[in-house]
Amino acid sequence: MKRRDFFKTSIAASAAVLGTTSLAAGETHQPNETRQVSKYAFPEKRPLITYSDRPPLLETPLSVFTQEFTPNDQFFVRWHLPDIPTHIDPDTYTIHINGFVKKELKISIQELKTDFEQVEVNAVVQCGGNSRSAFTPIPGGIQWGSGAMGCAKWKGVRLKDILDKAGLLEGAKWIGFNGREKAAYFKTPNFVREIEIDELDDHVIIAYEMNGEDLPYLNGYPLRLVLPGYYSDSWVKMLSNITVTDKYKSLFFMDKAYRVPDNECECETPENLAKKTKPITIMNVKSVIGYPENGAKIYHNSQVVVRGVAWDGGYGINKVLISLDDGKTWEEAELKEDLGRYSYRAFLFGFKPKKYGKLNIMAKAVNSLGEEQPLSKDIGWNRGGYKYNGIHVVNVEVV
Amino acid sequence: MKKIVLLTALSISALFAQVKESVEVPYIPFEIKMGKGFDAVQADCLMCHSFGYILNQGPQSRKFWRGKVDKMIEEFKAPIDKKDAKIIEDYLFENYGNGKEQ
Ligand code: HEC
Repeated sequence: MKRRDFFKTSIAASAAVLGTTSLAAGETHQPNETRQVSKYAFPEKRPLITYSDRPPLLETPLSVFTQEFTPNDQFFVRWHLPDIPTHIDPDTYTIHINGFVKKELKISIQELKTDFEQVEVNAVVQCGGNSRSAFTPIPGGIQWGSGAMGCAKWKGVRLKDILDKAGLLEGAKWIGFNGREKAAYFKTPNFVREIEIDELDDHVIIAYEMNGEDLPYLNGYPLRLVLPGYYSDSWVKMLSNITVTDKYKSLFFMDKAYRVPDNECECETPENLAKKTKPITIMNVKSVIGYPENGAKIYHNSQVVVRGVAWDGGYGINKVLISLDDGKTWEEAELKEDLGRYSYRAFLFGFKPKKYGKLNIMAKAVNSLGEEQPLSKDIGWNRGGYKYNGIHVVNVEVV
Repeated sequence: MKKIVLLTALSISALFAQVKESVEVPYIPFEIKMGKGFDAVQADCLMCHSFGYILNQGPQSRKFWRGKVDKMIEEFKAPIDKKDAKIIEDYLFENYGNGKEQ
């Protein structure tokens, strides 16, 4: 996370008046927040912002992000390939561990729940392309607003414990994760993720429960990988196979998708694309305001409480700052209870609007490393539209 | 991470009676424009995903749409021949274009 330069510019630029409407071509702006929930509800979900039914792509409305945990029925949904099993028998479902291991394993859900230590972790899962609609020109992929994310209490078994049981052979270096989602056409690359063994720690789990319930079907029932701190591209759903290898396999979704320029600003221009890229991996520091919403009317001299959530890749949120004067001055919001370094940190900020007319409410999170969110306009473009983490600006009207 | 007591009770969740049977994902009728070349789009672009993917991109240049069709063929191995690819590019630019070639 190389945000040092942004850090400097964001302070220097914070005195400038925000222009969120007149945008020069190429300037990063606030993500699209105008989309409404659809009239169709997907299985176990309330109606959400819907981009596609096959494969399902559902976004959570921003107003949900005033609380630490995102309700299962409002949790975003992101699949890559259209062929997702619609029938799963939890009594016969197994997960296979093979490759560079001493003993191949086939573990049933029941065995996972009884033969291993059961653990819980609170963690945010966010699509690397969350807020992609902030970039100009539009980068490839779904033009998400800021709701391609959620935070849940995940329960399951440590990946490490499972690998210990199988026993890694000398030379084991990479782990491939494969889910049951399949391409419609046999030549289309499947969605397999690979992670270097050194990157894994005790917080990585195979989860079967989310917020105290079985995983919702659309969030990967019956098992998914939970990789706290990492963007969601590696949180493989409907996990069926874990294959240990000594070599990295070249795969489309590893080599071409979910990568950013390998330079200081992680940015490039459409005319001059970076030659070297790297995987998106760990999340940068970010926050969103869940209330009030853009375009809301609030009453003059009334007691308004701004609420939202802040998170990062696991260093922990230090503070959230609020500005009501277009970034000239910042005041600290109150942080609610710390539910773990991978979790959302909910914040609130009360004030009485004293001036009639338009008002911009801005929120900026700072993590324990001192990294803070830049202004949108200071975020450089990248072809995949990944890792947007601009300061959220909500325009309201005081009436 | 918090350790928790071993679970002994089986969580038989009513929710998942339905996955044991079969889940039905609703069909969403995306409103896509009819026009010259639409037949090719319907034949070639629905195999792997809904029209939602196309509509979501907003109005774009010809170069953008050509790039998308090429990406589908090169990266995702969409079985689309040169003739259809051009027809689809024209359709997309005509109906979802921003008027700019580049
Ligand atoms: C062989 C399968 C296949 C076919 C056929 C196909 N696509 Fe795709 N398309 C994909 C995959 C895979 C993705 C990426 C899915 C994801 O990440 O959610 C994608 C994504 C897209 C996107 C999103 C932008 C992006 O760059 O990811 C657009 C737009 C798109 N396709 C347009 C089309 C059009 C137009 C056609 C018809 C010419 C088409 N697709 C046919 C597989 C296909």
